[in-house]
Amino acid sequence: MEQHEGRASRQADDGWWSGRLHELWHVAETAQDVTGLADSLYDMLLRMPGVLAVVGTRWSGGLLHYLRRVTVAEPTASLVEIERDYGESGAAGAPDGDPTVTVHEVSELDGTMPHVQVLVAAGTRSLAECAVPLGQGGWASFMVGTADRDTIDVTLRTRLQQVAEVAMVSDRRITARRADEVRQVSDAFLAEASLQMDSSLDVKSTVQRVARTAVPAIAEGCVLHLCLPEGLKSVSFAHMDAGDQQWLGKVAAEDTWLTEALRQVLGSGQALALNGEGLRGGPFGPASSGAGRAVRAISVNPLKARGRVLGTLTFLYHRVIVAEGASQFLAGLADRAALAIDSSTLYEQRRRHVVSLQRHLLPRELPRIPGITLSSAYEVGDVSLDVGGDFYDAVPGAQGGVTLLLGDVCGRGAEAAALTGLARHTLRTLIEDGSTPEHALERLNQALVREDTSRFVTALVAVLVPDGEGFRVRYWSAGHPAPLMRRADGTVEELVAHGDLLGVLEDIEYGSGSVRMAPGDALVMFTDGVTEAKAADGTYFESRLRDEVTRTGAGEAQGFAERLAEAVVEFRATGADDIAVLVARAESTG
Amino acid sequence: MSGPAGEQRIDHDLVWVVEDSAEDAEAIARALRRTHPGLALDFTDRGTGFVERLLGAARRPGLVLLDLKLPGPSGADVLRSIRSRPELDGVAVVAFTSSTGPDEVDTTYAAGADSYIYKPVNFELFRAVLKGAVDYWQRKAKSGDEGPGAQPPS
Repeated sequence: MEQHEGRASRQADDGWWSGRLHELWHVAETAQDVTGLADSLYDMLLRMPGVLAVVGTRWSGGLLHYLRRVTVAEPTASLVEIERDYGESGAAGAPDGDPTVTVHEVSELDGTMPHVQVLVAAGTRSLAECAVPLGQGGWASFMVGTADRDTIDVTLRTRLQQVAEVAMVSDRRITARRADEVRQVSDAFLAEASLQMDSSLDVKSTVQRVARTAVPAIAEGCVLHLCLPEGLKSVSFAHMDAGDQQWLGKVAAEDTWLTEALRQVLGSGQALALNGEGLRGGPFGPASSGAGRAVRAISVNPLKARGRVLGTLTFLYHRVIVAEGASQFLAGLADRAALAIDSSTLYEQRRRHVVSLQRHLLPRELPRIPGITLSSAYEVGDVSLDVGGDFYDAVPGAQGGVTLLLGDVCGRGAEAAALTGLARHTLRTLIEDGSTPEHALERLNQALVREDTSRFVTALVAVLVPDGEGFRVRYWSAGHPAPLMRRADGTVEELVAHGDLLGVLEDIEYGSGSVRMAPGDALVMFTDGVTEAKAADGTYFESRLRDEVTRTGAGEAQGFAERLAEAVVEFRATGADDIAVLVARAESTG
Repeated sequence: MSGPAGEQRIDHDLVWVVEDSAEDAEAIARALRRTHPGLALDFTDRGTGFVERLLGAARRPGLVLLDLKLPGPSGADVLRSIRSRPELDGVAVVAFTSSTGPDEVDTTYAAGADSYIYKPVNFELFRAVLKGAVDYWQRKAKSGDEGPGAQPPS
């Protein structure tokens, strides 16, 4: 009660007031936000004689953000968040020019307004009000309530106006400083985000980086949606609070209100910012339930690149007032993110096309040959965006057995792909029609020479004919790496055969040979992507090829080629070249 | 993670920082002194014995800033040991690293971090990120004390 005893003596003392006002200006100079200032300001007004309550309200047009109050019964300032739009009647209280003090009877005011309710509850009948303009259409109003109109004298009115002006100036200074900070942070964020996004060509990782970098520098939550063939999909989300992370993921994936808002942005191509009433009916804002209650505002920006809208970037804010310049910054960020996503999407699309085109150049499935298990593998080089020239095929023999083809067109790209198709189909068709391998290779060479291409082709043809319990293998090589024979006991023999490249000279010679393949033995054919795969330490796979063939051939016949290709992929540091492997293993009898 | 106020002697204006890089610790101190001059900061460069210190402290911090890349017991180890003590539930733990691997975020959340923040290279941005994290947990602690809805205005 000490405080109340002091009131009567202090209130009339102009010296006390000017001392406090001076202090207030000093606080206003240095305040980081209005909270510290508000405590002194409300306390000063409450100490004036006859004042029962001091209430402040913070508005944007007709939207009431919050009110702050002190009363004689509760002299510690408390803040009540409102976030409600009172439309015209709310906006009517906005200041018209410079701050002026008006005096009203409480009974004349709209009793549904929360600040009026505070005044009524404190037992006030009259009030003096001073509204001040703040930046960006915002305004604040300070009210002192008294028991009767006579208490509101010139001194009280003057003092109310003085503190209102301090609050106004301080708010403007804080807003300006904050805008400056936001600009600095925005620039830094864009630079950092660009670094983060550029370090990945993978879309998934790119979008996750966007979301994670933004929280909490920009907002408390971030969600990224992309327009995928199956529709608009949430692809990444990040929340400041681990406890709300799952909630956000669910809202991003399922909420119909949010989906509607996103569609609006996709349709118009224009950014959207919602707060207060704008959030009504959705999963956010004080009227919602659960984790969304803390969200005060959201912004949705379209992600646009090369004239297409790729998706949306959504931020969730727990703070009401977003600094000036935020909209340009968000647009800049969305553009940057869209560009990063677009590049990684393009990369992935192109790679998918390469892989699918490559598949078309290979047989859809290998034939079933009695007594032989065939396996094959094809690995597209990782960094490659062009179709490679490796090919293989298997043609069943008329009297049992099989003819295996494997080759490599040098280089990559559309021309290599065309020649690969030509080579595989020429060899296959001729062999199906009963041509000998020599003849088939000869015809292919002529076709290539006729094409007058600068590219050459290497090829290997192996004819497997049933012979007793196993097979007789005859093979022809046109400049291709020698195949290997893995014996059932694990030993590996190289089937040396030289021979000229195809597509260079009119007349060529092939290297050929013949070998027996007993049950359990396997013929291993591959392209130079296998032997030339290079590890980080500079060694080539060739140096361990035999050991790996021994090892990977030890398991099931099915999957032998895949296991060998996998060993190569694991070994190599960079996978520039494609790899093709074709294996035929004679089934063990009994 | 705002526990019952008072009961565990939690001081929401006290922040403990576990950071082995002297340079980063200095940046954190510089950033927080500017944005939150009222905070008391306590720095340590090792995870060893950290939980014991927390348990024994007369005043427990409302917030721990934990570098995940630590020598000795890793940040994740420290995190798990904090979360294995229910009496430390009221202490919010903000884990941070300079990498943003999505897997790391998931595992860090699974280990019981309240926030995962990414440590940017730029100082202004670092300050904004730290401010965002400290504001968030202070606001949350405060609204836990005063009932829902209370928050300082911007």
